[in-house]
Order: sequence, then structure tokens, then C-alpha cells
Amino acid sequence: MMGQSEKLQKIAAEALEQGQVTMVLGWCKKDFWWQAPVAFITDPASAARLVWDPFTVYNPVKYLLDNHHCHEKIGVFVKGCDSRAVNRLLQDRRLEREKVVLFGVPCDGKTDAAKIKAAFPGRKISAVSRVDEKLLVDTDSGTETLPAAGYLLDKCQTCRHPNPVVYDVLAWEKVEPRPGVDDARFVRVAAVEQKELEERYAYWLRQFDRCLRCFACRNVCAACNCRTCIFDQAEPRWIGKASDLADTLNYQIIRAFHVAGRCFECGECERVCPADIPLQELNRKLIKDINEYFGEYEAGLDPNDKPPLGTYRGEDPAGFDES
Amino acid sequence: MSVKPEGFEPLIVAFCCNWCSYAGADLAGTSRMAYPTNVRIIRVPCSSRVNPSFIIRAFQRGADAVLVAGCHPGDCHYHSGNFFTRRRFTVLKQMLEYMGIEPERFQVRWISGSEGAKFASVMNNITAEVKSLGPNRKLRDAR
Repeated sequence: MMGQSEKLQKIAAEALEQGQVTMVLGWCKKDFWWQAPVAFITDPASAARLVWDPFTVYNPVKYLLDNHHCHEKIGVFVKGCDSRAVNRLLQDRRLEREKVVLFGVPCDGKTDAAKIKAAFPGRKISAVSRVDEKLLVDTDSGTETLPAAGYLLDKCQTCRHPNPVVYDVLAWEKVEPRPGVDDARFVRVAAVEQKELEERYAYWLRQFDRCLRCFACRNVCAACNCRTCIFDQAEPRWIGKASDLADTLNYQIIRAFHVAGRCFECGECERVCPADIPLQELNRKLIKDINEYFGEYEAGLDPNDKPPLGTYRGEDPAGFDES
Repeated sequence: MSVKPEGFEPLIVAFCCNWCSYAGADLAGTSRMAYPTNVRIIRVPCSSRVNPSFIIRAFQRGADAVLVAGCHPGDCHYHSGNFFTRRRFTVLKQMLEYMGIEPERFQVRWISGSEGAKFASVMNNITAEVKSLGPNRKLRDAR
């Protein structure tokens, strides 16, 4: 039977050979076992570099913005979360559907390298592979087996759309979402909501005090796709260059607010944060409120929808005193 | 109205829509209704012109409370601006409370051009509320 990596390689090689696309975005292996960065494949021979392994978590879709002024067609491998990023860019008119070919890859959850490292302290790991629900870890003292479910990335544990929601070709059969993901969605938000007011402020100060303002959360976000981000522009300059907690709070509040109703819960912001700031607790709070006030809405499913803060109904309730 | 020299005098920034709430302020003035001098009005063309960044920036630069006032829903001069305001600031207000900002610090009210008395009473109420809360230190610039 053909392996999953080989299936991706075959799809990419065929699309390039037939001239259907001029480039394919997928994932490749780098020097370390935990790396699987995005690969840019332009000739069928190098399609053999493509892989599908426990660490292909990166979203290749945002790279499509670099192709904004090109007229060439690009093929992209999309997991469930990546496909919703495609819908995000389509809804924001930042991408033309005709310019991309989407190779859907149903995803069974990606592995957290940090959790694997923590499971084998002091041992050198050379490779990690996945067979169904088992992780095979090659270490300097033999191969160990771990249950895949226990070593998933946090964001994958609450994933509601493991299958691509939009695709042209599907690499293999669809998978079932993990049980209990719907209940897990707002658990962390509810925990923060239950704190007292002053406790909440202290909590967020503690979190954002660690923020380096590296903007990784913005750069990785498919909803943050403005041509010029307000935090980059010189005039007006919304946040200063100095390390000031008030400016950091400003950045974090406005970043979360700018993706309100547009965030599709891929959780990349939280994953890439070098300071481990729980950004999903902010993003999901906004999603929860929008659902409660203006009706259930899930971003990234239909590119023809209007985002909830870009539309209105006359009978909308208000979260403030309307008397 | 008497301004007590001792004690805490809050700074309240009120973004008022040009067509309703600012006219409401005008009516309150011409009707000689008193409202506190703590309120600094910033006239905006529509309540939906108020960027959430304005509110955060006001807190950063020393506001003790921020008020956004606009036309009643359905009465917007630009037809639908305040419907967007309502959605936007419903979400922002919940978010600020979630982050630990007192609900009284950020308020949104609908005040029409004929509601001079309402304008004065809203300003009196918000000033009294913020006086009892004390100065705002949250989101404030260290500079």
C-alpha cells in the first residue's frame, strides 16, 4: 500500500507534470525530526521532498498572499484548518479561487514535539513517525511506542474540522472529529470568566507582561491579512516602539478585536507564541459572545457569508444600556 | 454646578455623534441644564466612526471613563452606522470586562438631538459612577 507521503508526492508530481499548476505548497523534512516546514515545489522531480508526518502543522495558505499579483496557478495541500484559511482569504477578497488548486488532506491531529521531548528526558530522539493511533519514537536506546492522542498539540485537541471544508482533490478518506471537541471549545474561556474582575485584570497583565511584541501571532494568522497592518504603519502610529505594557495591551486587545468574527480557531497564534500567552482564550471569548448575541456563526466555512461584525440586523440585542 | 477643589475629579471622554448626541449636548446647553465639566466631548461624524483603538488610546492617555453616544438604532443619519456600532461595541464591552476593566469605565448610550435632559442625566450619572470608582489605572501608559 502506498504511504501517505507518497500519496502527496504523487498528487503534486502529476499536477506539475500536467501543467495544472506551476508550484505546489506542501511540507518537507529539515535537519531536525520535529521540523516539517512548508516546501515550495516547482518541478515534478522534487515532489519527492514532500512529506506527511506528525509535525506538518504549518499552514501553507498564508504564503498565497505573496502570489497576489501573479497570474500563475498554485497547488496547495490543505488540512482542515488550512482550508478554512483559504475561505478566510476568499471572504476577505485577498485570493481568487481560480488561481489555486486545493489538495485536501484529512488530518488526524498533529503531534506536539515538546510533549515528546518531555516524555524522554535526557534521551536523543532521531525520528518520530505515526501509524494510525500510535507514535513510533526512535531514540538512542531503542524505539518506543506512544499513544498519539496523548501527545497532540493543544490546538488539535479541540479541532472541530479535521477534514478540509473546501478542496478540489482529496488525498485520502475523511476522518472523524475527535469525541468531545464541542464541549471542550469554551472550557478555558469559562474558567477565566469565573474569576473576579480584579483577578481577571491581574491574570491578563501577567500573561501580556511576557509579550515580546514579536508579532508572530499576527504574522501567522490568516485573518490578519491587511496589506498594511495598523501596527506597522508610521502615521498614525498606534503603538510605540518602547517596551510599555499599556502599548502591549493595546496591541493585544486590538489584534483580538480585529479578528473578531473572522477568527476560525486554528490556534496557530497560541502555538507560535514564544511566551506561551493563551491567545485562544481571547479569540474564543469573542466567538462565544458573537454566538450568544448575534446567533451561531462559524468563520471560514462559507466564503460568501458576511462576517458578523460586517453586517447587522435591526433587532440585534445590545450588550449595554439601550434605555 | 459646583466643582469641589478637593477630591478626585475624573476625566471622561465622550465620543458624540454629530447628528444626535452632539445636538443633544447643544440642547442641554441652550436649555441651561447643568452637567459636569469632567466630560470632554469629541465630535465624530457617526458613532460607527469610533475606532476601538480610540477607546484604548483614551484609556492609555489618562481617561477615567469613555462614553460613545450615538443616534437611537434606526435613526442613524447615515442609515445604518449605529447598527454596526451596536454590534462592535457589544463585543468590545464584553471583551474589556473579560479583561478586567470595570463595566462603568466604558459605556455606550443612545442620545437623540431632542434629548437634552437625557444627555445631562447620562453625563451626571457617569461622572458620579466614576467618582465613586476612583481613578482608572488600568491600560494606562507608564510614560
